[in-house]
Amino acid sequence: MRKALSTLWDGRGFDLLLVGIPLVFLIAISGSALVYNVIMSFQEVDIFSLGTFFRPFVGLDNYIAVLTDPQAWPIFGNTLIFVLCSLGGQFLFGFFLALFFNMQFPGSTYLRGLFLVSWVMPGLVTGAIWNWLLAGDFGVINFFLESIGVIDDPIFWRSSPDFALWSVIITNIWFGTAFNMILLSVGLAAIPKDLYEAASLDGANAFRRFYTITLPMMRPTIGALLSLGLIFTLQQFDLFAAITDGGPNNSSNVAQYWAWQLSFREYDFARGATVSVLMITLVIIAAVFYVRSTRHEVRG
Amino acid sequence: MNRAKLMLCVSAAAISLGTAAPTLAQEPVTLNIWTVDKTGQPTPDLAREFDESEADIDVVYREVNFADLMSEAMRAYSVGRAPDVFAVDNPDTAMLAANGALLDLTDMIEQSDIINVDEYFEGPMASATWDGRIYGVPKATNTIALFYNKDMFEEAGIEEPPKTWDELIEDARVLNDPENDVYGVAFSAKASEEGTFQFLPFVQMAGGDYENINSEGGVEALSFFKTLIDEGLASPDTVSRTQWASTATFNAGNAAMAISGPWEINRMADEAEFDWGVTLLPTPSEGSPRSSAMGDYNWVIFSSTEHPEEAFKALEFFAEQDKDLFERFGQIPARNDIDIPPTGNEAKDEALQVFLEQMQYSQPRGPHPEWPKISKAIQTALQSALAGSKTPQQALDQAQAQIDKITGK
Repeated sequence: MRKALSTLWDGRGFDLLLVGIPLVFLIAISGSALVYNVIMSFQEVDIFSLGTFFRPFVGLDNYIAVLTDPQAWPIFGNTLIFVLCSLGGQFLFGFFLALFFNMQFPGSTYLRGLFLVSWVMPGLVTGAIWNWLLAGDFGVINFFLESIGVIDDPIFWRSSPDFALWSVIITNIWFGTAFNMILLSVGLAAIPKDLYEAASLDGANAFRRFYTITLPMMRPTIGALLSLGLIFTLQQFDLFAAITDGGPNNSSNVAQYWAWQLSFREYDFARGATVSVLMITLVIIAAVFYVRSTRHEVRG
Repeated sequence: MNRAKLMLCVSAAAISLGTAAPTLAQEPVTLNIWTVDKTGQPTPDLAREFDESEADIDVVYREVNFADLMSEAMRAYSVGRAPDVFAVDNPDTAMLAANGALLDLTDMIEQSDIINVDEYFEGPMASATWDGRIYGVPKATNTIALFYNKDMFEEAGIEEPPKTWDELIEDARVLNDPENDVYGVAFSAKASEEGTFQFLPFVQMAGGDYENINSEGGVEALSFFKTLIDEGLASPDTVSRTQWASTATFNAGNAAMAISGPWEINRMADEAEFDWGVTLLPTPSEGSPRSSAMGDYNWVIFSSTEHPEEAFKALEFFAEQDKDLFERFGQIPARNDIDIPPTGNEAKDEALQVFLEQMQYSQPRGPHPEWPKISKAIQTALQSALAGSKTPQQALDQAQAQIDKITGK
């Protein structure tokens, strides 16, 4: 008995304790909410039964209602476009900037720090600023595009079904690029310089050095960044609330915003929960892929 | 001996004092009041005055953000901590009443010397009524009408503001001036309650309503809106802008007309550097019935309250202050027995008179316990016809199908 107890501060018991405490914490804080959300998606919940736990179970009714809703598939499509383009844009611009500042010209570290301003700002503020930039009749972006002759008539970024989603994507790319840049910069700094020197001596050109040294060495960073980016992008709510409200005609609506609209605009909490559960499933699948793809690197 | 007697007397006095005290000053009752009103708007001041006028009632006021108003109140109600007195957005009253969340005020109002149903405008009172019983007292009211830039009208040689939809379109065509960034008209068709608020009156004027939104009248109204957007007589941003933001373009001289409400009057008087006026909402054709939107809140008492009498006293106190509502806070009481004194600013006073006339035609949204969902169907139709590829008929057919599912027809 004493022996079993003593492992609590030295040995296997200590390991379990270390894992156990955060696990209990995680289940209490996040797990319970998650389970509650899943249960809610199988119940009929309105604003008046919100406070009771024993609500009528309706089986898969909510799922059928959500998936057969004519709005559903366009919204899921928008979500996919939004995630892929935001993620791609943020990553490419971020990588480019990280490589650029990695050249370490005078003042590069200060400039890199300045770029973080976009990441520090609250989403609603960013949204409000881009609202002005993207405004149809008097927007700066339209003025710029018109004066360099790209367009003749102003584009109604926020009000045209063809552009509304893109106005949020552009804003989101601007918003997230700095964060990508910083994480990638850290990854770049961690690559030993002698690898590049050796490669140069062997006659590898810049492109080849990037392809055979930088990219493989950055793989864990990139994997972590993309999975974080996926989560941040699926969480992105402020910009939709600030810029398009999901409109016009749902053309810029995405799953996370729809879930909120269902719950807090139509008070259909069950269907709001259903959309959330569908999103969680997606994130879990993505997370599994991520863990599998980086497993060997974590051990190495 | 003497000393002991004295002690006895003192302690006896103390005991009698101790027992007498509760009957003398009763434990004050605490009333919780929630509304969206900020400092400078009616409730914070009125609640404090009520608190001061009633010695045995303590008032605790809480301001709730409009976006969270319903969800906050319902969350509190579902765990038994609802406020006693609450101001609910009028189209949501039916939802609360139908689910038993509100106290039936019918009998209390009948016995009241202060609140008299006949002294209220019909529309607001109807919004506070569900299934023949009264659940609320209108807090104030507002509506929408047509603002117009008198200078622009004069310059274009148009003598009077439009009376019919066709006239409005014609005038807008004349006044529309893309070269100088001037649109014919500004309004809001946003996918929120604001969109429904502005669109539904036009449906009602043409003889439709939410129950038969895809009728001829509904299609006519939506086609009218669509013409304004398609011909570029209103900014494409109409589908994503609030009423407040749309009217700001009118104040800046970038629109010749604007559809909005009396809450704009003070800002317009400050900002607009031109002569402006207000006229009744144009009708489909001359002589057709009028309609307009009906905004603002109803005072209600949650059925969970422990102090219904004190809560009703608060409602009576608020109703008594209606006579000063415009003077003190710039809001219009929902009462037909109150004459609002002039402010001295001619444009403002004229505007107020038009809004008071328009108010007589204002109609409630619903009332229906599922109003938020019905409204969403209407907003979707509005958006899919104005910004999407659907014809007004297709858009409204789809809305009708959804509304029928909700109302169970």
